[in-house]
Order: sequence, then C-alpha cells, then structure tokens
Amino acid sequence: MSKEIKGYRQQPGKLPFSKPGSGGSEPFSKLRDLNMIPESEGGKKPQPKGKNKHDHLLTGSSVGRRTPLVDSNWKVTGQAKYGDDIRLPNELIGRILRSPHHYAKIRSIDTSEALAIPGVLAIETGQQHTDLFGVLPVTKDEHAMAVDKVRHVGDLVACVAAENEATALEALRKIKVDYEILKPTHDMKKSLEDVDEPIHDRGKYHIGKSNVQKRVFQEFGNFDDMKNPHASSKAKWKFAGVNHGFTEPHAVVADWEPSGRLTLYTPQQVPHYVHRSLADVLKVPMHQINVHRTFVGGGFGGKSDPFPHEMCAAILARKTGRPVRITFDRDEVFYTNRGRHPSEIEMNLHVDDEGRICGIETDALIDGGAFASFGHVTTYYNGVLHTAPYEIGSFHYTGARVWTNKPASGAMRGHGAVNSRCAVELGIDDLCNQLQVDPITFRLANLLPPHSSTITGFRITSIGMRECLERVKEACDWEQKFRKLPLGHGIGVGCGFFISGSGLPIHWDPNKFPHATVHLKIDMDGGVTIHTGAADIGQGSDTVVAQSVSEVLGLPIEMIRVKSRDSDTSPVDLGSYSSRVTFMNANAAISAAIEIRKELIKATAEICNVSEDSLVIGDRRIYQKKDPAVGVSYLEALHKAQEERGALVSSGAYRTPPMGGVHKGAAAGLAPAYSFSAYAAEVKVDPETGFTEVIKVWAAHDCGRALNPLSVEGQIIGSCHMGLGQVLSEEMKYARTGGLLNPNLLDYKIPTVHEMPEVVPIIVESNDPEGPFGAKEAGEGPLLPILPAVCNAVYDAIGIRTNELPITPDKLYKQIEKKVRKLKLDSPLDLPNPELIYSELQKSLEKRAENHKERDIERKLNQEREPYYNGTIFGKISTIPPEEQDERWTLSVTPSEEYLANPRLAGSAWKHQEVRHMKGGET
Amino acid sequence: MKTPPFNLFQPKTIEEAISISANFVENDEKFDWIAGGTDLLPNYKWHLNTKPNVISLALIDELHHLDSTHIGAMVRLHDLANSKETHPIIKKAAASIASVLIRQSGTVGGNIALDTRCFWFNQAEEWRRSIEWCHKCDCDTSADCRVIPNQNELCVATYQADLAPTLLVLNAKIHLCGPEGSRELFLSEFFELDGIKRNILKPGEIITHLTLDKEINSWSGDYQKLSLRKSWDFPEAGVAVAWRHAAQSSDEGIELRIATTALESIPRLHNDITNEALLNKYSINEIASKLRKDVKPVNNTAFPPNYRKKMVEVLCKKALHGLKGVLS
Ligand SMILES: Cc1cc2nc3c(=O)[nH]c(=O)nc-3n(C[C@H](O)[C@H](O)[C@H](O)COP(=O)(O)OP(=O)(O)OC[C@H]3O[C@@H](n4cnc5c(N)ncnc54)[C@H](O)[C@@H]3O)c2cc1C
Ligand code: SF4
Repeated sequence: MSKEIKGYRQQPGKLPFSKPGSGGSEPFSKLRDLNMIPESEGGKKPQPKGKNKHDHLLTGSSVGRRTPLVDSNWKVTGQAKYGDDIRLPNELIGRILRSPHHYAKIRSIDTSEALAIPGVLAIETGQQHTDLFGVLPVTKDEHAMAVDKVRHVGDLVACVAAENEATALEALRKIKVDYEILKPTHDMKKSLEDVDEPIHDRGKYHIGKSNVQKRVFQEFGNFDDMKNPHASSKAKWKFAGVNHGFTEPHAVVADWEPSGRLTLYTPQQVPHYVHRSLADVLKVPMHQINVHRTFVGGGFGGKSDPFPHEMCAAILARKTGRPVRITFDRDEVFYTNRGRHPSEIEMNLHVDDEGRICGIETDALIDGGAFASFGHVTTYYNGVLHTAPYEIGSFHYTGARVWTNKPASGAMRGHGAVNSRCAVELGIDDLCNQLQVDPITFRLANLLPPHSSTITGFRITSIGMRECLERVKEACDWEQKFRKLPLGHGIGVGCGFFISGSGLPIHWDPNKFPHATVHLKIDMDGGVTIHTGAADIGQGSDTVVAQSVSEVLGLPIEMIRVKSRDSDTSPVDLGSYSSRVTFMNANAAISAAIEIRKELIKATAEICNVSEDSLVIGDRRIYQKKDPAVGVSYLEALHKAQEERGALVSSGAYRTPPMGGVHKGAAAGLAPAYSFSAYAAEVKVDPETGFTEVIKVWAAHDCGRALNPLSVEGQIIGSCHMGLGQVLSEEMKYARTGGLLNPNLLDYKIPTVHEMPEVVPIIVESNDPEGPFGAKEAGEGPLLPILPAVCNAVYDAIGIRTNELPITPDKLYKQIEKKVRKLKLDSPLDLPNPELIYSELQKSLEKRAENHKERDIERKLNQEREPYYNGTIFGKISTIPPEEQDERWTLSVTPSEEYLANPRLAGSAWKHQEVRHMKGGET
Repeated sequence: MKTPPFNLFQPKTIEEAISISANFVENDEKFDWIAGGTDLLPNYKWHLNTKPNVISLALIDELHHLDSTHIGAMVRLHDLANSKETHPIIKKAAASIASVLIRQSGTVGGNIALDTRCFWFNQAEEWRRSIEWCHKCDCDTSADCRVIPNQNELCVATYQADLAPTLLVLNAKIHLCGPEGSRELFLSEFFELDGIKRNILKPGEIITHLTLDKEINSWSGDYQKLSLRKSWDFPEAGVAVAWRHAAQSSDEGIELRIATTALESIPRLHNDITNEALLNKYSINEIASKLRKDVKPVNNTAFPPNYRKKMVEVLCKKALHGLKGVLS
C-alpha cells in the first residue's frame, strides 16, 4: 500500500487510490489508546465517576454544552405570550369578588343589581358549582368559589364576566353578600385545639374537632444511644411564610370553541392536574378539554395547583359563549399564595463522643392556611428530607399541618425541606462550636456513601456531597477565614439534600402508568418534533429534552423542535414540580430517541451492508465505529428508514424502579435520585444596626451531570437570590387584625440587585447511574444551603445565633442588645468574636473523613458493591438492615402512650382521635 | 386594579395653572396636582382619595430651573442627584430616593409635598374594606384611626420623603403661588402636624421652587437613611446634619443643624437639641442620644417604632462623623 507516488504527471485514474471509503493513506483509522477509554465505551479504564446507563449514547452533540434556552429568543425580544398576552377576539374580562372577612358563613348572595349593569354578561357563585377539587386526590377541599363558607380574606365568593374591566369591577361593588361572621383562627398553635367550627370538615377522617389537617409521627433507630449524648444542640425556630414572588401574576383565558370543546390558556406548571380538576368541576370528560400552557413568567411551585380562578374562567366562558380572560392584581397573587409554610420547628441534634450524629429530633408545626394544597406531602417533607446526607443513629419526627384563616400555603422551591434543613445545618454548626471542631471536617466525617440507604429507607445512588464540601472549602479560602475574621465579618457553611423527582406519581400506581412519556416524530425534512407535556416554566425543560434528543441522534439542537403546550398533542406528563422534569422527562425522551436511533442504524446497515453493531452516530452522520468513512448521512439513513412507512414516530416513557420501605408514609421523599449541595457565604454584619450584608457566596451543587451548564449556573444563582430573600428580608406579615399586611411588592421585600452578592457557582458532577446521561436536578436543591450558610456566617461574624427568619435588622438588633446587656458591655462593638481552638476530636474526624473518602470512591466504581445501610458508622453490619440485626432499632409511625403523655408541640396533634376511630363517633 | 378615570389639565404657565385651580376652588370642585406622578398614581390605583380632576405641572417650563441656589419644583430627582450644582447633602439624599427608574419621573415638588404613609392606608381598596377603612380615607364611614384609636381626629401617618430634612438643615426657603398670590417662607414653616393636611398649602396653591442661601457651600454635612433595601424602599428614618465653622478657627464658632424625617407626620429641625448641645459642649454620643429621645415614631411602617427610634441615634452618630475631633 505504501508505494510512493512521485510527481504530478501521473494520469488521473491511475493514482493508486486506497480502498474506497477508508480515506487517506491509512486504510483504517487507528484505534485510540484503550487505557484512556472508559470501560463503558470498550476501553480499559473504569470511569472515574462510575457508570451511567446512557454512556454508550453520547455523540458529543449537546450534552454538557452551554446552551442558551431554546425559547429565549421569544422572551428577550418580548414576543413570548404569557397568560395575559392571549387575546382572543370578542373576549370578556372576568373579575373575582373576594371575601373581606377571615371566616364567615355566606347566608345569601344577591347579584340582581350587578347583573342589571349594561355590559355585565354573567355572574356565577359557588352555589352552582359544588364539586370539590384539589391538587392531591386525598385532600380535595377547594371549590371554584366558596359554597357555604369563606375561609380567609381574599377567598373567592363570586365571579363576573363583563365587556371590560371597569364594568366588571363596578359589578363586584354591586354584589350584595350577607355574611355571618365566625371566629377566625390565625395562630397555628390554637389550631391544634378543638374548636366549635373547624375550618374544614373531613367527615370520618377529621382529627378530633381540631384544625389539624395532617399529622405525621416517625421513629427510626436506636434511641438508647441518644439518651446520653456527648453534646446536644437544641433550638426552637420560627420561620415566616414566604411567597414565590414570581414576575407574572396569575392569568387565564378560557375559550369554549365551536367544537364544543374547552381550551384553557394558562401559565401552569402542572397542566395535567388542571385538566383533571376542570373535568371534575365542569362535569365534562377530559377529552373535551385542551389545556394550553402559555409561557410561564415564573412559577417556583406557586403555579402548580389547579386554581379556583381557572375554574371560574371556564365557567364564565361556558355561560357566556365568549372567551373570558382573568388577570390578577398582585394582591390576588398573595391571596392565592401557596408559598412556603410559616413554621415553628423544634430541632434537637445529638452527637456521641466520636462526633457521630446519634440523634435528630424534629418537631414541625406548619401553618397551612385555609386549604390543603400540597400540605399532606409538605408535612412529611419537613421531616424525612433531612435524614441525609448524614448518617444518623436515630431519627424522631413529629409534624403537623394545621388550617388557619390565612391564604393557603403550598409548594415552593425546596418544598418542605428548606426550613428544617436550615435548622439542622445550624444545629450542626452549633455542635461543632461546642465540640471545637471544624464544621466542614465534621460533615465530611459523617456522610453517607454512594449507593446506600438512609435511615428511613431512601435509596441513595450517586452522591457528590464530599466533592461539594471540598471544592467550596478550597474556593472560599475557608482555612484562612473561618473564625479568623474580625468582628462583624464572618463566613459560614451549609449543606442541602433534595429529591430529583418524586418516586410516587400522585394520581396512579407507579407500576401501572409511567411518570413521563415523550413522543418523537421525524419526517422527510429531518427535523425532529418532540411532543412532551413537561411544562417549561423558565427552568429550561424544553431545552433539556431538545438536548437529550439531539445528543442521541447526533443532530444540532436547531433541528429539534419542542411542542409542549397543548394537552391535545402532548402525552401526559406530571408537570414541573419536585425537580422531576430533567430526570424523568429527559429519560423518557432518550428512550424515545433510542427507538429512532435503532431505525436509523438499521437503515444504514442495509445501505452499507455492514452489521448494525459496528455503527455509531456522530454529527448528522451514521458510520462504522472502526472506519468512520464507511457510512451515510443522517438524511440518507432517514429516507431509507421511511421507505415503507413515511414519518418515523416513536414513544418513550420513564418509570421509577421499585424502591423504598413499606411503612406508612414510606413513599414521601422517595426519589430515583437525590441532589446534594454545599455553600459558603461571607457576610458583613453591622453590630450597631443589625444589618446583614451578604458579600460573596460559593455555591457547589451536585446536579449529577450538567446537561446544560449555563442553566445549571442560572439555577444556582437564582436559587441564591430566592433563598437570600427568605433569610434576609422576605416575609408575609400579618396585622394584629389577622390580615396580610404586605400583599404588594413594595412592602414584601424581595432583595434588589443591590442586595445580591457575587455568587460563584461550582458544578459538581457525580454522574448518576440512572439519570439521563447522569443528570439529577438543579431546580430546587440549590436553594437549601444558602439559608443556613448565611445564618452560620452571621454567627461567625458576631457570635449570635438566629432562630427566626428572616433576620431583619430589627430582629437581629434585639438579640445584639440582649447580649450586650447580658455581658454588660458598653457597646455592640465590644461583642466577643467566636473562637475555634481545635479539640482532640478534630484529628479523629479528619482521619475518619479520609477513610470515608476512600470508601466512597471504592463504592462508586465497584459495580459488584454490596448494600450499605444507614447505621454502619455506629458499628452495625453494613449489608443488613439495622432493624434486622438490632432489637433496639425502632421503626414506628404511631406514637406510644408514653409519648402522648408528654408530647411536643406538633406532636400534640396526636392527642386527638380521628373521628372514624372514636367510640360512637358519627361517620 | 384600575385607576379611576379623571380629567387631565396640562397648563403651560404658572398663571394658567393657577387660573384652572382657582376656578375649581371657586366652584368647590375636587382636584389634585400631579408632577411626576410616582406617588399620586399608585395611590389612585388603590383608590385612595381620588379626585375627578388632575392638573399636571409637567409642561410649565419655569418650574424646571435648577442651579446651586434655586431648585424648581419640577426638577427631576435624577437631575438633582446628578447635577454638579447640587449641594452634596441634597445630592446624597436625592440619590437615595426610590429607584433609578422612579427618579427619572419623580420631582422635587412631589417629594416635598409627598403624601404621608401608613400600612393601614397604603393598601388596595379591597384590603381597606376588610379592616373597614380608616380615618384618612374613610369612604364616608367616619372610621377611626387604626394606629391611635378612639380619637377620630388626627391621622399620624408618617412623612417618608428624603429631601426635606436636607433642605431643612440648609435653611431652604420654599416659594408658593396660588389664587391669592405668591408667598415665600422657610421650609421649616411649611409642614403641618396632620397626616391628612400635611402642609400649609392653601387650596389651589402650588410649590414653585426652593431657594438656598448664597453661602450655602460653606455648610458641610451628611444625610443618613434607614431602609431595609438599598433601592426602592422609603426611608424608615432619616437624619440630616449640617454644620459650618463660622469663626473658621475654634469650635466656639460652630453652627450646627439637625433634621429628621420618616419618624413622624412631618420632617423637622431639632434646634432645641443643637442649641443645647453647642451651649453645653455635648459629645456626638450625647447629641445622638438626645435626638433619639426627641422623636416619636408610631407603628405604621415596615420597621417597629422602637427600632427606628434606636436607629436614629446610630444614624445621627454616623451623620456627625465629620465633626469628630471638633465635638468630643
Ligand atoms: C416604589 C416607590 C419607592 C419610593 N421610594 C421613595 C423614597 O425612598 N424616598 C422618597 O422620598 N420617596 C419615595 N417614593 C415616593 C416618590 O416617588 C417620590 O417622593 C417623588 O419625589 C414624588 O414626586 P412626583 O413628582 O412623582 O410626585 P407626584 O406623585 O406627582 O405628587 C406627589 C404629591 O405631591 C403633590 N405635588 C406635586 N408637585 C407639587 C407642587 N409643585 N406643588 C404642590 N403640590 C405638588 C401632588 O399633588 C401629590 O399629592 C417612592 C415611590 C415609589 C412608587
Ligand atoms: S395613621 Fe390612622 S388615620 Fe392615618 S392612615 Fe394610618 S390608620 Fe389611617
């Protein structure tokens, strides 16, 4: 072959061409160095991050590239159509009459005068629409409008459709409602008690005659070891309720089309639940309804319930035969709320003499406001979501969610996990202070390993917590700063742990129907249409499915188009909550793309007459792996595959694997994967005024794999901003009359750009074995650590622990004053600065952390690894569930008589009996 | 939320403006002046004491004049904050008001005549109905004040504007013009201790401009503002100080003025304290502590009153920092 060719006088045709297809003078491309290639791709080297099921599908097209969101052009050019931008011809304006009372019975409603106003087309009240709905099937407790009672100021009473807004508002003023005022409850503690008229009546499932909506009791582990701890940290926390503060107020357009079908245009995170609820309330079959998700101007959990105003719009549209548009004022957004629960949390942490966390005792009373919303789940999440990332000896949790006459709380970014996580991380900081050890070392010495099981039976797969802590420590120059900065200047660390998708679909058995389904369609032009029901709410879910398909098929992202708006064309998806979309939807998309990939490979094999196994996909080309010159273009293969049947279509779905325990509530918090994060925050606190300024944040987040690093960073920075709001200034304040004092964005204080520190995002990739290309989540988890990191930094700065959020200057100043008085100082500028002089424990923790690091690498890479149960660090055999090897290891979900004799605050909810268990209780 | 409709008048001269207002006064018709509208329009949206007629001052050229001793009522806060001619104390206060966008519309006149604020009052109509209104906008129900109940006479809403204290310590004069002619008085005489009436403006009268003394640059000083966020928020307390060395050498000859805002229904000078302080050679700390005792905030803004009171002391110390060494 290497016969040399000299000169240029050779005749064309006589050149000794090498074999067709092989290209160049070497007939075959050289194999790469097998020692450099990961095992999963045929080489010898085990992947440093462990295996992922999609490793063999990587084509280098999209995954890991900084990709601007595919819908960003619409947004930045102002052409995106949000809820209120949907203007249909002949539209009417809907407005809602809201209750001025906290709690009252509706005796009668007189709409006659209002209806007589010219331009008023319809007025509807709750009496005509009595079907219940709600986001969780177990706690449906909402109506389109109040049927018999109003339950908070702002509760819906009636709705009006009129030719314009002014007329609609005029009509609202003319509706006469006769109320019988009832005694409201605003204090969540009082809601634990029996009352004459509980806010809801749950029939035989009612808990006593109280306003307790949900209660949870959980005991896991060995409580004997906890009784004599080496050190304990006990704190009673108060967290104010916070609202999502999204930019776009709720807006909805309902249109009954000539076909007799309803199209509802709404900026929803979870179109599917609205779809179901509309069918319930309107009494029409689901197939007669198309839910169209508009662009969503921010959701954060606040647009994931089916809402009464969506029902109202549909009701009015049906009645008038014209499209009806309802757009909220900001105060209506606050009355709809579904923000983070105001909570009172008691957090006790215990460590033994080896610096192991032998006990966590949590009691969480959460204020649900007037409706259930997601509260059933929130009540569990306040407990179970802090059973990791640390290995713990025992876990005791009592939680209760109560109704009060306030706007309903619900799901908000970091759902249920944020407040108790903050309390845990401060407890650890406090313990480390007592033990005089470094809080990062302490955490590193107490982490669960990869592929382990938590105390409550959650299955942990990948875990990048260690790397998060290590990288943050280095990036922020921890050694030089912690406990070494002058008074008023401090640094602190905090960690987080969050679900990547909820394991249990709320509406069906996970074994019977998938969590997510994606359809693909490719026609002659070669562009790929993705049909998905996943709701892009600004987080970039359209982009992530487009990227996944682009990666598998080796196509540039410009060739992928995502149709995710209409329920008519999208397969059912559970929507954007619990940070499930990337994990579940991209997994489904990959499955669908694999089907197409197979067809393309089959067609190529036929054209080239080679075996299918030898083919791989690259940039718009399908070719032989060993001889890339043998192959065809993507379009050639596609057209070949289409010969018999036209457009290619495929469907892919995702279902969670079977997992988790069997105790009551075992499914709450169960997820196919979990994200981990560690942040450090540097703050300045002015001891004279109590003002806290966050100056810099280092934020490491283990998202599994950053499919799109650009949006992972965006999510981290955005989470910091949102979390800073809760820790520094945001709070839903209630006046002495019980009313919400600040339902507007001047008085509800979201940090401005001036309060926003520099955030250094650090992406940690633990490569989850089951995630799409290794990805987990970055939507909610990144919010958790910022709160404790800031609080711990405040302690480092001035030696004061806050147990109340937000840390507004007035509150912090009160604590400063108290301490100044107690220590008899002249001025707050003389406050003592916290110190750290390592105790002997520090060395042994460092040693343990070192050993655990090796243990973790080994577990990550060894595919034949054995199980690892929480409890191992306490001397249990790692491969056997602790309850099977230790009699004293409790696993209980109902309180004992002994506990009930002296319950904690939320635990006292268990003093009531459910009506169905009462003797002679009516059912 | 919808702003109720109103008739808009856009006079081009002061005379024209006054003739329109005089006409309304004569016929007992209700109206409001509007300058930048950043205070009036949000209030209108919330249906707070709206009027059927609104007279805009925007097109009156002579109200826009700005130099080192003359500040027209229609000068925008943005221009005031960025002009080289503005005294540094005023500049600092102007730059701290609201946000960069609002300062592009907000004016000096509107800021001086700013409506007082109260969290029982600055709320949407539906909200106020749920507490059955309050005295300041009672919708003909003779509702009581929610801050100091059982008196039904006085509104103690808080004056939360930033410019006034700085103009007070610089001894500014305010110039007014109305159907009964023009008048000028010291700004310190302009405000009236009543959250509803607010100032001594007579029906149909406008602020035309403010003037400062020619020697204004011999005064130094500072303005310190308390607010939760660095942008957007109204002051929760504000302390302006100004001083000069009259005899240029010893501290005997020092002149000192202190004014506060956002603590009561009016901004005011604290001449009793400064006179006493100079006489008795008070230290900065002593002055600050006296000032704290001299203000009486009530509970109707974002921060609790006792915190605002305590912070007055800190703000005062910080504002007087430049006198360290002169005062002990
Ligand atoms: C979000 C937000 C934040 C704010 N933050 C601050 C702040 O931090 N500090 C602060 O001081 N203010 C603040 N403001 C209030 C306001 O924006 C400013 O005070 C501004 O200077 C008002 O000027 P304007 O021209 O817009 O007033 P307008 O709204 O036009 O008028 C205000 C009042 O003054 C009267 N008026 C106006 N001009 C005259 C005149 N020449 N003669 C007689 N009466 C007159 C009007 O009738 C009206 O009653 C804020 C406002 C908003 C909306
Ligand atoms: S101080 Fe009293 S009267 Fe004035 S606005 Fe507030 S509640 Fe109303």
